[in-house]
Amino acid sequence: MSFGSMVFLFGFLPAVLVCYFLLPARWRTGRNTVLLIFSLAFYCWGGVALLPALLVSCVGNWAAALWAAPGHRGRKAVYGIALAGNLVMLGYFKYTGFLLENLQALGLDVTVPSIALPAGISFFTFQAMAYLTDVYRGTIPAERSLPRLTLFMAFFPQLLQGPILRYGEFAPALTQRRENSEDAAAGATRFCFGLAKKVLLADSLGVIADAAFSSGDRLTMSLAWLGGIAYTLQLYFDFSGYTDMAIGLGRIFGFRLPENFNYPYISKSASEFWRRWHMTLSFWFRDYVYIPLGGNRCSRGRQILNLLAVWMLTGLWHGSAWNFVLWGLYYALLLMGEKFLWGKFLEKLPAAVRHAYALVLIIIGWVLFRSGSLAQVGQMVAAMFGAAPGGLWSAETAYYLHQFHWELLLAIPASLPVKQVLEERLAARKGKAAQMLLILGPKVLGFGLLGWSVVRLLSSTFRSFLYFQF
Amino acid sequence: MKQFADRAFLALLLAVLLAVPLGVALWSHKETTAYYENRSLAEAPELTAESVWDGSFGTEAESWYSDHAPGRTTLLELDTWVQMKLMGRPVVNGIVTVGDVLLPELEFDEYSEEAYRYGAAPIAEDFGALSAYVESLGGTFCYVGFPEQRVYFEDQFPDYLNNHSQEAATADAVFAEALAEQGVDFLNMREVYDQQGNPAEYYSAVDHHYRYWGTYAAYRAILDHLSEQGWDLPVLTEEDLEFQSLPYPYIGSRNRKLYNLWPNEEQAVIAVQKDPVAFTRWDNGAPSDKPLFVLPASEELPTTYNLYMGGDFGETILDTDRPELPNVLVFGDSFTNALETLLYASFNEMHSLDLRYYTEQSLKDYIAAYQPDIVLCVQNDTFYYTEGGNNAVWVD
Repeated sequence: MSFGSMVFLFGFLPAVLVCYFLLPARWRTGRNTVLLIFSLAFYCWGGVALLPALLVSCVGNWAAALWAAPGHRGRKAVYGIALAGNLVMLGYFKYTGFLLENLQALGLDVTVPSIALPAGISFFTFQAMAYLTDVYRGTIPAERSLPRLTLFMAFFPQLLQGPILRYGEFAPALTQRRENSEDAAAGATRFCFGLAKKVLLADSLGVIADAAFSSGDRLTMSLAWLGGIAYTLQLYFDFSGYTDMAIGLGRIFGFRLPENFNYPYISKSASEFWRRWHMTLSFWFRDYVYIPLGGNRCSRGRQILNLLAVWMLTGLWHGSAWNFVLWGLYYALLLMGEKFLWGKFLEKLPAAVRHAYALVLIIIGWVLFRSGSLAQVGQMVAAMFGAAPGGLWSAETAYYLHQFHWELLLAIPASLPVKQVLEERLAARKGKAAQMLLILGPKVLGFGLLGWSVVRLLSSTFRSFLYFQF
Repeated sequence: MKQFADRAFLALLLAVLLAVPLGVALWSHKETTAYYENRSLAEAPELTAESVWDGSFGTEAESWYSDHAPGRTTLLELDTWVQMKLMGRPVVNGIVTVGDVLLPELEFDEYSEEAYRYGAAPIAEDFGALSAYVESLGGTFCYVGFPEQRVYFEDQFPDYLNNHSQEAATADAVFAEALAEQGVDFLNMREVYDQQGNPAEYYSAVDHHYRYWGTYAAYRAILDHLSEQGWDLPVLTEEDLEFQSLPYPYIGSRNRKLYNLWPNEEQAVIAVQKDPVAFTRWDNGAPSDKPLFVLPASEELPTTYNLYMGGDFGETILDTDRPELPNVLVFGDSFTNALETLLYASFNEMHSLDLRYYTEQSLKDYIAAYQPDIVLCVQNDTFYYTEGGNNAVWVD
């Protein structure tokens, strides 16, 4: 079920809110049970056939963590087996097809089976592995309650697209959170803004991106850039919109979910971009892969190997195709370059130049990410740098600029911390009007955006979020 | 103040979230059609173990819920207005809104000449077989092809959209060539209208059909064409007709997609015969009292292209009881509808089939049973290359 669907907005959401808040606040277990039941229903909406993978993961990791906790005999082996089990499950569902296709391409006589990918498997598997590792390291105690761990794994606001949670941060809220109207209003407002990001901006910008990436021989240099920029914005508004909705929903129920984005497109380097984009994934790889491999505290050669490993895995995490691997390695090279080669020089350049440098690299990165094949990567990048089959400019580019000029214009301030700056300035003023605006402004705007988003939803067919596929 | 605002906001939000399902349950679930979208609304999904297992229940439930949201039509009309008037989009709901006429949004992709040649050959072969068959029974066959409105007004597309001008000309030429190779008589109305200078009043600014002026020009061109082949048919001249612009608001298929919000002064036109040729009518095998022009009950009510003959029927027969005149069989798309209001007057009997809806027997069997003197296929160019429908002319 998508947050941007009528069934979610006007069926699931009011149902869960009513059931949840009708129970007394002191009956925490009851409220958690409501969330668990609705979370499983939310997951099953796409087909009950997908549920066993999630349940196996929940039960398996719950049991393994109990055994892998400090003080148990054979815990290292259990931890290893459980980690391997998670990787095997992820590998089976996500990478079997990719592996067999490559073997087929090498001439081996293998058939590629069609395996349905359980939605959100990359997210809940990573949460499970982080939980197991934290328990094994003794950072957190193993959770004895299976329902609580299942709620952590299946919590519907973040089940399908994150942010990736740590049990150590989530667990206290299961018993100690206190819902209140201030948090709920802030969460609801954020949900409305997130929905608008997705429906009003990302979906429209996606039309431009889809057109550019499927234009074939009609591709011009201008269309390649417009498509690249549109996809850059689409992905941000799609994913950060979802995150806003997830965080907003979490807050309504009294949970504080971690932030996943910090205005990534104001970055002035590729390294800074990855400190601002999909932060919970970056932290996950840092804490559970990069640092255990030795991190920065090793030889330069080893550091390079570590970076290559982390970024290749980051690429593969996003999708089972070579262009994702290429995208991961692209960032590995950029980060290594900034770390070991041109980073110091970059810092001396004017901020505008560094910003342009980062944006161009980010856009090219998303072109690698969005392309359907390595051949398309080559075609798009070549077109961006002048070798376009259709030349420099086409009427098609002009059409998309005409048709979506509002979205393109609005996307720029919406991807910058304009709202944050405005709120800070209003908060600094002591006048009654400023305070009223600060209190009512986001709510009125959020309510309006919700209404407009619903109208747009009605006028379009159902569209799924981009990060569902990961 | 803040706490009050927070609580008021949450209460309002929850009220809206609950009002929608309540509205669906109380009334909007009963609606079955979306008039402006010209489609049936999604039906309630069936709850089965299989549909829940594979997720199809969820997908269908989403379609159903979206289709039955309370106030959906009003909200979509509002959205259309915002897209057109406030945001100034050149294309809204798939319709190009800039310029003097409403045109459909066309893809930037085009089919190649080779693709058209590949598609034309088997279709032309079927029409060739049909033509030979009609002639073997002593009749005459003619394919009358019309440009659709988007082709007629292809120069009105803005520069930044693909009007498929070259592609349409190629498709037209390839189709004509393929028919000629099969010995099929093809009257291309695009060429006729070209020779007449493509008058703007021939085609609708808000609908994909021609206007009645274009219909009349086609009627005369067809009769001239049949006359060249030796048929001596009575002709309704302009002196025999009184052209009338109807007072009703006219909703064209293009403007309908825009919830009729595009400023439109266009009126439907009919031609009333000063000395009407009487007829008896059957629709789908049953006697019908429908007139040639089906008009709304009052001047405030809108009318559409369906006013001509009352829209599409699988089979319509108009019998003028003048056995000295030949019988004609017309089959084709909705371009036949307006044409029939004139054509019938030149024949003893006019049988009209729309093979998209007529399923009683094959066209071949129908012709064998009826043995018409003249068979006309009337289609617009968007159907030249389609499979089935009125191109299924040589199937048993």
